[in-house]
Parts: sequence; structure tokens; C-alpha cells
Amino acid sequence: MSLTGFEVEVQREVNGALATEDMTLSMGPQHPSTHGVLRFVVRADGEVMKEAIPDIGYLHRSIEKIAEKVGWHGFIPYTDRVDYVAAMFCNHGWAMAVEKLAGIEVPRRAEYCRVIADELCRIHSHLLSVGSMAMDIGAFTPFTHAIREREYLNDLFEELCGARLTFHYMRIGGVGWDLPPGWTEKVLRFLDRFEPIIEEYDRLISYNKIYAERLAGVAVITAEEAVDYNLVGPNLRGSGVRYDVRRDEPYSVYPELEFDVPVGRGEMGTVGDCFDRYIVRMREMQQSCRILRQCLARLPEGPVIAKVPRNLKPPAGDCYVRLESARGDMGWYVVSDGTAFPYRCKIRTGSFAAISIVPKVSRNLMIADLIAVIASLDLVAPEIDR
Amino acid sequence: MGLGAYLRNIKDAVVTIADGLAVTASHMIRKPYTVEYPDRLPDGVRVQDRLPFRYRGILEVDLEICTACLACERACPIDCIVIDATKDKAAGGLVMTRFDIDMAKCMYCGLCSEPCPTGAIHHTPEFEGADYSLESLVRRFVKAPVVAYKPKKTGEVDPAVKPILDRGLRYVSEFAKSEAGDEA
Amino acid sequence: MQAFVDGLIAGGAVPASVPAWLAYLGAMLAFGGVVVFGFVLPVAGITTWVERRIMGRMQSRIGPNRTGPIGFLQWLADGIKNVLKEDIVPTAADAPLFKLAPYVVMTGFVGTFAALPFSSALIVADLNVGILYVTAVTALVVVGILMAGWASNNKWSLLGGVRSAAQIVSYEIPAGLSIFPIVLLTGSLSMQAIIARQGWAPWQWNLFENPFTFVAFFVFFVSALAEGNRTPFDLPEAESELVAGFATEYSGMRNLLFFMAEWGNLYVIGAIATTLFLGGWRIPWALEDAPVLRAALELATFFVKAYVVGVLLPIWLRWTLPRIRVDQMMTMCWKYLVPVAFADLLGAAGWMVAFPAGVPAVRAALAALAGGFVVLFLWRVRFHIRNARLTRRDLSFNPLSTARVPG
Repeated sequence: MSLTGFEVEVQREVNGALATEDMTLSMGPQHPSTHGVLRFVVRADGEVMKEAIPDIGYLHRSIEKIAEKVGWHGFIPYTDRVDYVAAMFCNHGWAMAVEKLAGIEVPRRAEYCRVIADELCRIHSHLLSVGSMAMDIGAFTPFTHAIREREYLNDLFEELCGARLTFHYMRIGGVGWDLPPGWTEKVLRFLDRFEPIIEEYDRLISYNKIYAERLAGVAVITAEEAVDYNLVGPNLRGSGVRYDVRRDEPYSVYPELEFDVPVGRGEMGTVGDCFDRYIVRMREMQQSCRILRQCLARLPEGPVIAKVPRNLKPPAGDCYVRLESARGDMGWYVVSDGTAFPYRCKIRTGSFAAISIVPKVSRNLMIADLIAVIASLDLVAPEIDR
Repeated sequence: MGLGAYLRNIKDAVVTIADGLAVTASHMIRKPYTVEYPDRLPDGVRVQDRLPFRYRGILEVDLEICTACLACERACPIDCIVIDATKDKAAGGLVMTRFDIDMAKCMYCGLCSEPCPTGAIHHTPEFEGADYSLESLVRRFVKAPVVAYKPKKTGEVDPAVKPILDRGLRYVSEFAKSEAGDEA
Repeated sequence: MQAFVDGLIAGGAVPASVPAWLAYLGAMLAFGGVVVFGFVLPVAGITTWVERRIMGRMQSRIGPNRTGPIGFLQWLADGIKNVLKEDIVPTAADAPLFKLAPYVVMTGFVGTFAALPFSSALIVADLNVGILYVTAVTALVVVGILMAGWASNNKWSLLGGVRSAAQIVSYEIPAGLSIFPIVLLTGSLSMQAIIARQGWAPWQWNLFENPFTFVAFFVFFVSALAEGNRTPFDLPEAESELVAGFATEYSGMRNLLFFMAEWGNLYVIGAIATTLFLGGWRIPWALEDAPVLRAALELATFFVKAYVVGVLLPIWLRWTLPRIRVDQMMTMCWKYLVPVAFADLLGAAGWMVAFPAGVPAVRAALAALAGGFVVLFLWRVRFHIRNARLTRRDLSFNPLSTARVPG
């Protein structure tokens, strides 16, 4: 335990009472419910935790360093792996950054295709998040229902870009493939099927008394704390802060689209508890359905990629772009030195900030609540470690 | 906690639990979604045939239409494609002696198939590639030195090669094309 | 049982040179073997198959369907696999306690079979403190689980064991309290006497006798679920948190013993609930002159009732509900179930003073109310199916169907 550096309180006798010791548990890298390979060193007094310190780095793959070797175009498949649960956003972020550096304009149809892919991916990621959260709390059936719905999305993505997880759909200057014929009808059919399923999901688990009791009032993060700790996305909106990059710093075609930004209202407990973060994700899925219908209705004709040289050499300089990933504000800082290879790429992800609030928020919670907190913050290890 | 809140807790619990039970009970009479792969599919169905055309499975190279331009080798970010091609005046062009793709390294990204002028290298719907040794995952396409394909200046195509070329060009045409034409 | 063995000795089946106590011992061991290997193991094993198939359909998938015609031999395959596994005892674990724990747990629940009334004649020992004996013996599992948690030398197992001890000991109270109205009604603790007081028809069951026994059934059912470590009370073996709780370090046959104890315990819960509330083995016909047929029908009735209430209903609940946290579980026990059980007991006693012979109108009304709930529930199921815009194509009423949703 030397790397965490805290000492166990050893008391032999305190005022004639029984001597107690804190228990140090390692919620190790292999655990059924840490999302990915995370480790928490928990110091607990029986069930009540005194401290839960995260230990990251088990999934570090030097992706940012690899960018410097593979070049501007070759890095896009690697961005899929930065957050493989929501890979479209990572593709999009890198493409946006390079387009900004090189001054490339993306055709309108390509922007619409990107938004359609993004929103489908958002539903994809949120389904996994709410499903895993239900499973961690103990209800296994909602997880399988969420995975079942994801299968429809997987089929849609497979038709669109050929892969189910590592999409590599977007290219610098547009997207890699145009929408296949008949695909938009399939998406509409999926949406028609999916919207009632969200309601059914709500009835099965969201408002279930046991589930709500597990989550209500647990790990309340106030709006000030959320902003202080740099939380983004549903974590931030769950605390009542109505900030969404799609609305406040819009990119792509979002200015033309109409959608609401759901925030936590403390319906079952306090504003900013685990339940709020969970319900924000459920509502965001419904908003994504709304956005998708608008995009499919307004899809323009035209090319889906701009003319970009294969041997791309953006002028020297740096840029920072941000987009609203499933896990929140994802920032891409890219530095170019004028050659065919990036000089530096730095990715700022929502989960990295979210894991930093875990020690603060898990004081005096029970070990069972730690699971709920990790699940509600939607931590994914690949995003934290890259 | 007042009596009202106490009783309301009990009522909420009973109602929401009963509704959840109704949802799972309704699932009991729905058909399952499982595809029983691989040995209980309906007769004559191969999942590989039902996959979409763009599916990025195991790579395949049609040497009949490969021009040995090495665009795929340059495009691969992991350097898993190794091609040896030398100019041979006598044979009338480039002669390939080696075309290896290490599928153990391949990340199925498709960057190699995009710049291919004829669609010789393409992804197939095959995904069952598991084998017992790492060496067997290296796909060696050149068994004997082969002359690279050279499209005729007149535009006509050898009938033996035409179907392969058509399929390859169809594969390549799926990729997005900019307004100005092919990407440089 | 003793009379049976005495009869065997008198009839000469057992040689006279064998002392009586040895004969009794032999009979007990033989009976134990028959019960455990002939009834408990198959029932527990087949329950795993039933659970996995039902769980599969609830999750829009098929359960096991490869081993055997409909996956029916899956439990056998699992059992054989577990027996053949390496028996791992962690080096730092307390080996004697570690090895003993599964057997204590098994004893805790197999011991109840001696007092379960399978039919009017098929009861091993019609103790005059039958129900008290059953409740007492099932509490033995606490010892076993605590032993398992402690002896594993694993902090996660310890947490699981400690949680379980708190849970089972706490929920003994409401379980016991909810049995009292029935005991008051019957005037005896004997299992057969409790059944004899009830009739075969639903409105003659103890469940609908008066509103207080109606509530007592639910209190008993929830408490028994908690004692059996079933979701929503499966904290001791919370898979997402503690891997397998107190059974984490167990592998092979020892692990299997724990799980068989859990599933077998479910059956025992069902048997007790059936005896107390659902009329036990009562059948409409007296069948005095066909004892074998009578025994068979009664056994079948008892088994079906116990299975539906004790196994199918908990399976359904398990795959629908999430898990309760430790402190919420304690709150529920001490602040909700215990006061309700006490009030229930007082109410039942008061009812008996006011209406010594019961009120037929109330019985009929309660039975009709229960029927109304069932109808309401089925209507709600229909609502869910319509709301999800499912058509006839997407439905299959055959529980063993593997027909896929088209498209």
C-alpha cells in the first residue's frame, strides 16, 4: 500500500473501548463492476468507507504518443480506441481538430452524416451506461435489454461503416462512406421501435423503489463542486448545471437543430445525486432520437468528403476543439509542426475529471454505494488512461 | 417520518415492484433475439453471406488485379503489409515476390483498401480467423512470383479478370469521393 | 419413522442380533441419503435449469439449450464438472473451518426435510413442534456462512459473511412473528395439524382466512426471501460487488454445495409457505380406499404449490429487482417488517376473539380480491406488450421456443 501512502489507524484502546482497525480493501483491477480496468484502494471501517483512492493506468496504451508516429490520416483508427464505447465522437474530435489546423471545409452532407453517426453513438453509449449501472445495482435483466437494443444499433453501424465497435467512420474532411441506400429507413424504423422501449425501461427499473432508494441522495455533487472538479456531460448536468457544448459552443450543424438539454432536478432525492445523473442519460437518449429524426428529414445532397491530400501537411500551429461526447465535453489539443506527422496530441476526456471526484464524494459512503457512484459517473477506463 | 410518508413508501414499493414484474412477465412470452450461431442456423444460411458489403473482416488480396503500387503498404499505420516488388523488363513490368499481411497485427481499419486503385486488397465478410499458432495468421498471398496487373491503355479488360476487377472497383466506389474526384 | 423401523425389526427384516439403536441409526442414514441424493440434489439441480431458462426468456434470450434436448442435462454437466474440479483450499485459510462450512449450511436446510409434510402419510416425523423445529434448523445456515466468510481469509468474503449473519438473524424475527397468526388459528405447532385445519379450495386456505393472515403471508414471504439470500436480499453474495461474497474462495464441489443449499432452501421456503398458508397437500377427494393414488395426488399438489411459490416466484423476483443495500435492508426489517408483523399478530388475535369461527364473507372477499389482483396484473402485462408495439409475430407462448424474432 506504499503507493497510496496512507497509514492505517492502529488504536489499541480508546477510553476503555474496544480497539478497532480500519480495513484496507483493494477493489482490484479485476472486478465485476469497475467499468474497465480500474482499481480503488478503499479504507473502510466495516461497511462505511473512510477513503476510496483511485489507481489508474492499467489501460494506458500511449495512444497520444502513437499519433506522432502514424500521421494525420493513420491516427483515426486509433481514436476509436480512445473511448471505444463512444468511438464516433473521438473520430469526430480528431477530424475537427485537423480540419481547423489545415483550414479544410467540410461539405454540408458530411456534417449531417457526422451528426447522425454521433447521435446514434450517443444512444449506443448511454444504453451501455444505464445497463451497466442497473447491473451493478443488482438488476441483471435491464442490462440484457439494453444490450439487445444495442444490437440493432450495431447492425446499423455495420451497414454504414463495416464495423461494430471501432468504426473509423469519419475522415479528415468528411466521412468515409456515404449512407447506404435504404439505411435512413432502417434508422427511422429503429427509432420507432426504440422510443417506447425507453419508456418500458423506465417502468422496469428507473422508478423502481429499490433502485431509486439505492441511488437517491447518494454522492450528491453540488453545482459548485461539479464545476470546481471539471465535471462535464451528464455528470455536470445531473448537478443542475445546464451546460452542453452542442448548445453553448455549437459545432457542425447543431445550431440548426432543436433539442432540449435535460438537467437533474432532484426528482427522487437531492439535485446532483446518482439518480439525477442516471435519469439525465435516459432523457438524453430521448433527445438524441429527436435530433436524429430532424437530421434524417433535412439531409441535403452533395459530396460527403472534401478534397484532402493524402500527404496532408497542415501549417505549423496548434488548436483546441471541443465536442459533446457521450461522456461530456471532450477536448482535443493538437499541435502541428508543418510535417506529415502531428507534433503532439492531447485528449481531454470527461471520465478523467470524473474519477478525480470519487475520493471526495465517497467519504462516509458504504462500499455498495461506491459501486453506484462509479457507475453513475459513467467512468470508462480507456478514456481515463488512453 | 409521518404515518403518511411511511404508508406511501410501502405503496410505492409495491406498485413499482409489481410494474417491474409485469414487464419481465411480458418478456416471458416474447420471442428471444438469440441467433444460434453457428450450428443451429437455418439450413443453407451462412452468417458471412448475410453481412453487409462494407463489413471489415479478414483482408483478402486479388493478385490478378494488384498493380503493386504499394499504396496499401504506405497507408497501413501498423506496417502489417509487406510487399516485395521489383522491376523486371523481361516480364513486362513489376514482379511481386512477396505480399504478406500479418493479420495478428491488423486492426481492420480499412486504411489499406481505400487508396487501392483497383480494389485488389479488400475486406471480406470472413471473421472466423482463430488458429492455434501466431505464425499461421500471416497471410502470404504470393506463392510464385507474379506479374503485377497493368490496366491496358485502350481501356479493355481481359475477360478472365473482368469479374474480379468489377467487384474490386465496386468495393472501392463505396468509399466517399470528394467533389473534385478521387483523393490525391 | 421409529414405528416403521420397529416394524421392520419385528417382521424379521432386520436380524435380532443388531441392537435397536444401530437399526435406528442405519434407518436415519439411509433416509438421509435418499432425501439428499434422491430428492434434494435433483430438485436443486433441476431448479438451476429452470431458473436459467426462465431467466433467459426474461432477458430476451434462450437459456442453456445445448447439453441435452432442451439443455436439460446442463445441471448434470455442471455437477459433474464441479466434482471433477481441483479442490483449492487457500494456504492462509483456516482449513478445518473452511472445509466444514458448506456442510453446516447443508445441514441447516436438509434437516428441515424431516418435518416437511409431503402428504398425509408421507411425513418423516410429525413433530408436535413441527414448525418451530423447521424455523430453528434453518437458522443454522448463519453459522455456516459466517464460518465460510471468516475462514476464507479474504476481506471480501468476510464482508459477505458478516452481512449475511446480520441479515439472516434479523429476518428471523419477522419470519417467526408472521407464523404466529397461523399457529394461533390452528392452536398447534404441528405441521399436519395446520394443514388439517385448511381445505382444498382457495377460499378455505389460511391465506384468505382473515386480512391479518393475508398480510402475514407477504411478511413471511419477504422474510423468507431474505433468509434465503435471494435478490433483492442477495448482498452476501452480491456478484457485482463482492464477486461471490462468502463463497468467493470456494471452488468445485464445496461451491456447488453452497449453491445447492441456496436453491434447495428455496424449495423449503415454498414448502413452509404452502403448509402454513396455501392448504398444503389438501385435495378435493377423500380417496380412503386408494392410498397410493391419494399419496401421489397429495404429493403432487404439495410439490406444485411449493414449487410455484417457493421457486418460480423468487426466480421471477430475482431477475426483476435490484439489490438492497445493507442499511436499507436493516431498516426494512426493523422499521417496516417487524412493526407490521407485530400489528398483524395483535390483529389476528383480536380477530379470533371477535369471530371465533371466522367470517365466510371475509374469506370470499379476500379470495376475490386476490383474484382481482391477478386479473389487474395480467391486464398490465397486456399493456406492456401493446406499448412496445409488439405484434403476434414477436410473441411466442411456448416457453421452450427458440424461434427468433424475425428480422
